[in-house]
Amino acid sequence: MSASTYTNVLGLAAAAVLLCAVVTLWRRSLGAIVRTLAVQGAALACVATVIGLHEHDVGLIVVGLLVLGAKAVVVPLLIGRVVRHDPNSRETDPLVNVPASLVAAGALTFLAFAATRSVTSLVPTTAGRLIPIGLAAMLVGFFALVTRRKAVSQIVGILLVDNGVALVAFLATAGVPLLVELGASLDVLLAVIVLRVLAIQMRSRLGSFDLDQLTELHD
Amino acid sequence: MVIAVLLLPLAGGLVSGVVPWRRGIGWLGTVIASGVLVTGVVLAVDVVHGKPMSALGGVLRADALSAFMVIVIGVIATLATWQGVRYLGAEIAADRCTRRHAALYSVLVQAFVATMLLAVLAANLGVLWVAIEATTVVTTFLVGHRRTRSSLEASWKYIVICSVGIAMAFLGTVLVYLASLHVGHGPHPLDWTSLVAQSHQLNPGVMRLAFALIVIGYGTKVGLVPMHSWLPDAHSQAPAPVSALMSGVLLTVAFYAILRFKVIADGALGPTFPRALLVIVGLLSLLVAASLLLTQRDYKRMLAYHSVEHMGLIALGAAAGSPLAIAAVLLHILGHGLAKGVLFLASGEILLTEGTSEIERVPALLSRRPVLGGIFGFGLFALLGFPPFSLFVSELNMLRAEFQVGLGWAAAVSLVCMAVIFAAVMSHGRHLLLGPRGTDAPAMTPALVAVPLIGGLVGCAFIGVSAWPLESLLHAAARIVAP
Amino acid sequence: MSTISHVIGTGISSAVQVAVVAVGGPVLVGVMRKVRCRLEGRVGPPVLQPLVDIRKLFRKQRFRPDQATWIFTLAPVMLVATVVVAAAITPLVTTHPALRASSDLFVLVYLLLVGSTLLALAGLDAGTAFGGMGSSRAVTIGALAEPALLVTILALSTTAHSSNLPAIVSAILAHPESVATPQRLFALGALLIVIVAESGRLPVDNPATHLELTMVHEAMILEYAGPDLALVTVGEAMRLTLLLGIFVNLVAPWGVATSTSVSGVVVGLASVVAKVAVVGVFLAVFEVFIAKVRLFRVPELLAGAFVLALLGVVSGLVAK
Repeated sequence: MSASTYTNVLGLAAAAVLLCAVVTLWRRSLGAIVRTLAVQGAALACVATVIGLHEHDVGLIVVGLLVLGAKAVVVPLLIGRVVRHDPNSRETDPLVNVPASLVAAGALTFLAFAATRSVTSLVPTTAGRLIPIGLAAMLVGFFALVTRRKAVSQIVGILLVDNGVALVAFLATAGVPLLVELGASLDVLLAVIVLRVLAIQMRSRLGSFDLDQLTELHD
Repeated sequence: MVIAVLLLPLAGGLVSGVVPWRRGIGWLGTVIASGVLVTGVVLAVDVVHGKPMSALGGVLRADALSAFMVIVIGVIATLATWQGVRYLGAEIAADRCTRRHAALYSVLVQAFVATMLLAVLAANLGVLWVAIEATTVVTTFLVGHRRTRSSLEASWKYIVICSVGIAMAFLGTVLVYLASLHVGHGPHPLDWTSLVAQSHQLNPGVMRLAFALIVIGYGTKVGLVPMHSWLPDAHSQAPAPVSALMSGVLLTVAFYAILRFKVIADGALGPTFPRALLVIVGLLSLLVAASLLLTQRDYKRMLAYHSVEHMGLIALGAAAGSPLAIAAVLLHILGHGLAKGVLFLASGEILLTEGTSEIERVPALLSRRPVLGGIFGFGLFALLGFPPFSLFVSELNMLRAEFQVGLGWAAAVSLVCMAVIFAAVMSHGRHLLLGPRGTDAPAMTPALVAVPLIGGLVGCAFIGVSAWPLESLLHAAARIVAP
Repeated sequence: MSTISHVIGTGISSAVQVAVVAVGGPVLVGVMRKVRCRLEGRVGPPVLQPLVDIRKLFRKQRFRPDQATWIFTLAPVMLVATVVVAAAITPLVTTHPALRASSDLFVLVYLLLVGSTLLALAGLDAGTAFGGMGSSRAVTIGALAEPALLVTILALSTTAHSSNLPAIVSAILAHPESVATPQRLFALGALLIVIVAESGRLPVDNPATHLELTMVHEAMILEYAGPDLALVTVGEAMRLTLLLGIFVNLVAPWGVATSTSVSGVVVGLASVVAKVAVVGVFLAVFEVFIAKVRLFRVPELLAGAFVLALLGVVSGLVAK
């Protein structure tokens, strides 16, 4: 792979991760949000694989394939099955409306750029320069989590945060050690399963994924 | 030995998963937990003057600090599993819970203990993260075990907020990893020992960002403000034995992670930045806890906010960072675990017998249920830092250490907050405990319930009066954090 | 090349550009209508129908509302005039049009804005309810598109370190590997959304509708008739063609002449016509499958364009 192809492909894949995060703020249909998450997982897997190919790191290529299986296929399927019972579910009334969310996403991107100065100066590689994009994806996910009021969009928000952190890990250190990576992936998978069970319980008890109905606990 | 500590709860979980639930299985959990305590003590004796022990090719490592935490986990787990038998029995009798759910509960409690043990025994900071994230996953179902609408809400908030917090901690861990890769390729770039050894070479800019993320991230699990909002809901909705475990040890296990990172950050950045960060979150926690405790109407939420206060105190103590302060912090971790564990278990008993967790509707406990009321009253005294309980000693020493390192102003602010909390808790406690009896005869509390609770309080008082069995262990552990 | 022959060459190239935009604009509109009709199973008007319509309108009697002032008269003329100037200085056929130094993205944007603003004023000038409503909607969309457009220009100019359009096009021609960088893709995506919004196409505005609840542009020009309407129609068609021409030359500048030689201009002419035709057909096909978004969702679309452009800028900063 030539240097400029590597730069371009890596840049595009990283940018796609961020773009998918922004698109989840843009879309209202929960099904579309889950599909966007799957695309983001695929882009993330692409980042890992491309770095692995570039650095001739077989372990990282394997991790990339695992990410593809877990984050682009299994996790979206798990969440997607929750949504499918309720195909008309939409994020109708987020706490921050869509245009303002999109502008906030832009501002968060700049914040990420400013906050990672010290890190990018330490990693002067092609991948290292893209670290702000990973942090921005994480912050956008955090924003989605805070402002969206459906159980499914909150699960997606958690996974956006997680994918953003994973992107930073791939770009900054070519991934964490394999043992930690496996443990972390297992944890995330289990967390998604737990969240899914809770979401199903919520729907069977409250009749919807609406978190606004959960208001019993307060001071 | 290190592996044995981990294998005990795993085996216990396996047995409770395979064999259908009955009381004997419940008692097995207590036996396992006390086994953990015993192995923790043996471990402590081994490492207190000698070298740290490792196992599993360097993945696990036990030094004095780990051994101390194993002991704390063992003590509280023994109390909680003891009470768990009664909780499950009552739930099954009231037909709120099937035997399958009871078995699930036992498995999850054992898994919960196992993940906490893995966290304190991990040599690798990545494994530490995996273990702490796993505690969240395991405890979510325990929080929602009562399957009511509000417990569903509590478990949802709990897993969502903690997952995000822990993701930030992961980012912090990745940045530490990045900094250590930059220094040079050691055999284990996330190994705590080698990170401490090379900490002065780590890039300060990256470490500053990393430590801030660690404090916010693991701080979420500790229940430090501003990421505390899950804590009162989860602790008030979980079954009492689970609340005792979560409030008594899980919070401090997460704080243990911050302590480990603080050693590295101190080496890389000097003491100023970590101290400033911990003082900020500590004081914020105290202020928020003080203001919210004033208006509490639910005794379980009152205990939960009290945990926020104590975590704030511990953060302030860790900010001081001198060996005296760290030893006091560790003693406080044990004392708070005991007192809070006993109080949550007692509150579970109150909930069981009175059927409500509102302070207004449970008056005059001391005359109606003298033993239970007495335990609750003494527990509150312990938690508020009355002598002879150990929290008095540890709070006093933390304040002393704060004045020594020039954090006198923070200590003063914390004293004001503690005074407000004292007044608030006393007024709630007065309503809960004192008052005329009415017509009923005083109800007795079963000895099986009272014995462990009284035992916990006596233990808390004992280590407050005489630091004897713990002194050398505390000093050895404190020297690890504050060399 | 001597200075005089260079001036003549650039002048001829610009004249060619204006001519192709002026003739090609109505034809492009005809092609897009034809494609749309065919996909919907209708025969549709002939491709050259817009030209015939315009000729017919020019022959009709001039007819203006009684209350209208000079603005109403001026607006169509200025609309066409600004587009003609913009078409002359844009690198559509060659990167050496006349007044190359003025061929700046900012200049072009505000040149075109003069025409749109006058048209909006003219909509108010007639004093009818529909005109005012159309103007208000058009200005709203324009005001929302503007920040997105400015940030897009910023993102595009990072490649060439200049907002000069010929310089940007030449920079991509000189460095073909930079054609697919993230910042360019983000910025071009944003540019496409802005172009669609500004030229009143679906999903922002439906050029074929005369339903009072939904029209934007058609409401604004409802009072125009005869030769004035012909000018407005020509101006709008030319503007769409010009914007698409700029877009295709930013996306894939291959074929654009880097000199003013005859062969280069011929090749450049052929390539730009082909590329605009392809994009036009693509847009027409796209329009078949989508519905117009509700007016209050338009801000979301344009905020999306704004964020895309912003992501483009950040990606540019990151790649430095």
